[in-house]
Amino acid sequence: MTGAAHGRHALEVTGVVKRYPGTTALKGVAFHADYGQVSVVMGENGAGKSTLMKILAGIESPSEGQICLDSAPVHLRSVRDAERLGIAMVHQELSVLPNLSVAANIFAGHETTLIAGWIARREESRRSAAVLESLGHPLSTSLEAGALSMGQQQIVELARAIARRSRILILDEPTSTLSRAEVDVLFRVLRELKSTGVCILYISHRLSEVLEIGDRFTVLRDGRVVAVTGREGADHRWLVENMTGRAIGAERAAGVMPVTDELLAIEELSCLETQTALPPRQVLHDVSFTLRRGEVVGVYGLLGAGRTELLECLAGARERSAGKVRLQGRPVRLDSVRSALRAGIALAPGDRQRDGLVPDLTVRENIALAALDKCRAGPLLALNKEKRLVEEWARRVNLSPRSLDEPVASLSGGNQQKVILLRCLMRHPKILLLDEPTRGIDVGAKAEIGMLIRALATEGTANGDARERLSVIFTTSETDEILSLADRCIVLCRGAVALDRPTAEVSEELLARAASEDRVPSGAMQ
Amino acid sequence: MFGGLMARIGAALMRMRALVALAALVLLFSILTPSFFTANNLSILTRHVSINALLAIGMTFVVIGGGIDLSVGSVAGFSGMVAGALITRGIVVTGMAHPWYPGVWFVIVVALAAGALVGAVNGLLIAWFNVAPFIATLGTLYMARGAALLLSGGRTFPDLGGDPTRHNTGFPSIGQGHWLGISIPIWIMVLLALAAQLLATRTVFGRHVYATGGNARAAMLSGIRTGRVRFMSYLLSGICAAMAGILIAAQLEAAHPATGESFELTAIAAVVLGGTSLQGGRGSVLGSLAGAFVIGTLADGLVMLGVSEFWQIVIKGLVIVLAVILDQAQSGLHTRLRLAFLRGQPE
Repeated sequence: MTGAAHGRHALEVTGVVKRYPGTTALKGVAFHADYGQVSVVMGENGAGKSTLMKILAGIESPSEGQICLDSAPVHLRSVRDAERLGIAMVHQELSVLPNLSVAANIFAGHETTLIAGWIARREESRRSAAVLESLGHPLSTSLEAGALSMGQQQIVELARAIARRSRILILDEPTSTLSRAEVDVLFRVLRELKSTGVCILYISHRLSEVLEIGDRFTVLRDGRVVAVTGREGADHRWLVENMTGRAIGAERAAGVMPVTDELLAIEELSCLETQTALPPRQVLHDVSFTLRRGEVVGVYGLLGAGRTELLECLAGARERSAGKVRLQGRPVRLDSVRSALRAGIALAPGDRQRDGLVPDLTVRENIALAALDKCRAGPLLALNKEKRLVEEWARRVNLSPRSLDEPVASLSGGNQQKVILLRCLMRHPKILLLDEPTRGIDVGAKAEIGMLIRALATEGTANGDARERLSVIFTTSETDEILSLADRCIVLCRGAVALDRPTAEVSEELLARAASEDRVPSGAMQ
Repeated sequence: MFGGLMARIGAALMRMRALVALAALVLLFSILTPSFFTANNLSILTRHVSINALLAIGMTFVVIGGGIDLSVGSVAGFSGMVAGALITRGIVVTGMAHPWYPGVWFVIVVALAAGALVGAVNGLLIAWFNVAPFIATLGTLYMARGAALLLSGGRTFPDLGGDPTRHNTGFPSIGQGHWLGISIPIWIMVLLALAAQLLATRTVFGRHVYATGGNARAAMLSGIRTGRVRFMSYLLSGICAAMAGILIAAQLEAAHPATGESFELTAIAAVVLGGTSLQGGRGSVLGSLAGAFVIGTLADGLVMLGVSEFWQIVIKGLVIVLAVILDQAQSGLHTRLRLAFLRGQPE
């Protein structure tokens, strides 16, 4: 029944390499998927799954390698090329057209027309209603898509891919905003599609779901395929071990931290997102935890769990709708980045290019950006003072002084991260907030940054004086990172704290389960 | 290997394109017209350039910070009219028999303040109310022009030489006077350019302007008050435009309400020719100065060659378009690199 029986794969990818300036996302991937099967692709962030899917969907082109459909090589130069060949993709980030109706969204780009571009609206309305019905979601097709909840928008996106009658359907985290009931409906539809011979590629972090629906499992790590198996060979342990590359139960953060005084207390922090999501979405619900001096806390969670938003609220870059934050017992306002910096809280943003680096300035200028008042001589900047200060700091993190005058865009990901870290450190903060500090960085640099974080917490920034020890809150999507770096693990799930325990009491499986637990938090706006 | 060297030379030439263009033009016109390269002509040229240069210097800060200021031409006209009104009509306070005629320094300060006021309105609209700079300054362009016309009912203020009995003489000397043999507008241009270059490259504010234009979000997350930075840049632009307006009125000894119409486009052309990117984050004051000289030299040379003034307008338009194309070419490279990085988050 499956294509493999005839020796022909629906989709076959060989030797695919994808290079970006500064990093190689895919290092020679060989992968195939068959009709009538759900092929699951797993991997940690940075492993290359989304890059591979983007190549298959025509959004990116591979630097090397070949893609074959039905054993015939194809060149996918654009999304339209891919769609014409029957490949459709539902993205992780919802790309619904908010000002158009549901029916218009489902047929966007493939409008049903009569003569000369006249859209057959009734026909579209009927067909989109039919597709939504089959998904168990009889939405009114004339509703404005922007007014739907995230879950409903995801259904519309799915309907769009299904209405295309594609032969190959790529789903990137399709259940991230769906409730258990909606997931059941989706899986029913996928099984139906499977039986009609559609080839389904499924990417997800949700281990239990993936084990439920998948027929074939491919694990990517560091840009390569490291393991492939069928239904019988796959279980939680197999997946996690292959994704992380180590046997479960690997080393933890060394030593037990001495109990120190409480530095930061966060009480019932809530945050409402009003700008990018219509209707307003509750991104954080009553988040409460404490941070001690010299402690390293890791925050784990899936995309959309609210980790970045939590850090942004603490750094004064995002407005919170409720809750209090106390620094050393006293409430702090944190209503602007400047006030947070003054209070001693510094944030290293997660998206380095978008939020962290000023591309036209040199490395040195980027590093000094937050601490320019320390480099003054009267009203003017003392450039040699700036040079000296920056060089001192750069030495501490192994950043070559020669690179200080280069444009910041020419550095590797790891060095760019160091630049952002140095910028924060130059202000001598008490609390360092790091959003995905090792995202998109190769293994060696990751280890270096990990050691740096631990050194900052144990020894501090200056002379090892206990008072100088930094407290760190970092977010991560990698279980082994949180287990090896953090003293305490917090897991956020849909904006609420799902777990808050010392690392010694936590395991990979516990983390993964807490992150994808299907709780509907009280008071949520859905 | 040879290709690499050529690429590097090409990139350097691109960066110094204003100076290269200037040198080429001077050479060309000196060959075509013998009287071009004379002290007399060059000093007249420089005096004309100084007006545009003042506008361009103020505009540079705005553009590096990621914005644009379309109102500078109107501000020049408006501030000239304010000066004209103060000199010819004085200030009438109810209850006084005669109007009070302020001294020339007072007139200058108030005229500069008028420019600062418009700049502040721009800054407020853009930094506080988040109006797009193009729209905000387009609005103030019309408001300032209207204000200039309202001041005089559409008429010119003549005879800005003042009256000795009113103690307000001396105004024209700002535009027509000399010091150490060099005309005063040129001094003002040079001093302002040096001060502005210092401000841009050697002060915290200048660094903040580059950061805000380069990546406003990163600047904000580094604790920079991007709103304040933008506001100050528009304030500066308004003051520079006011200075230009004062110089024009002083040179002509009269204030016309239509002064400065379309000067903003010439200023933007100078800024872009000088290597400042319209996308923000890149550029220099001295580059804008060079750009202003390119435009001024072109205009002067074409006049000397007897080129019809209609053709001059066409050529000016061509130069502006060419300047923007070159800017796109240079920043296109930057954008492509940036996009490659943005997409390059391996996932």
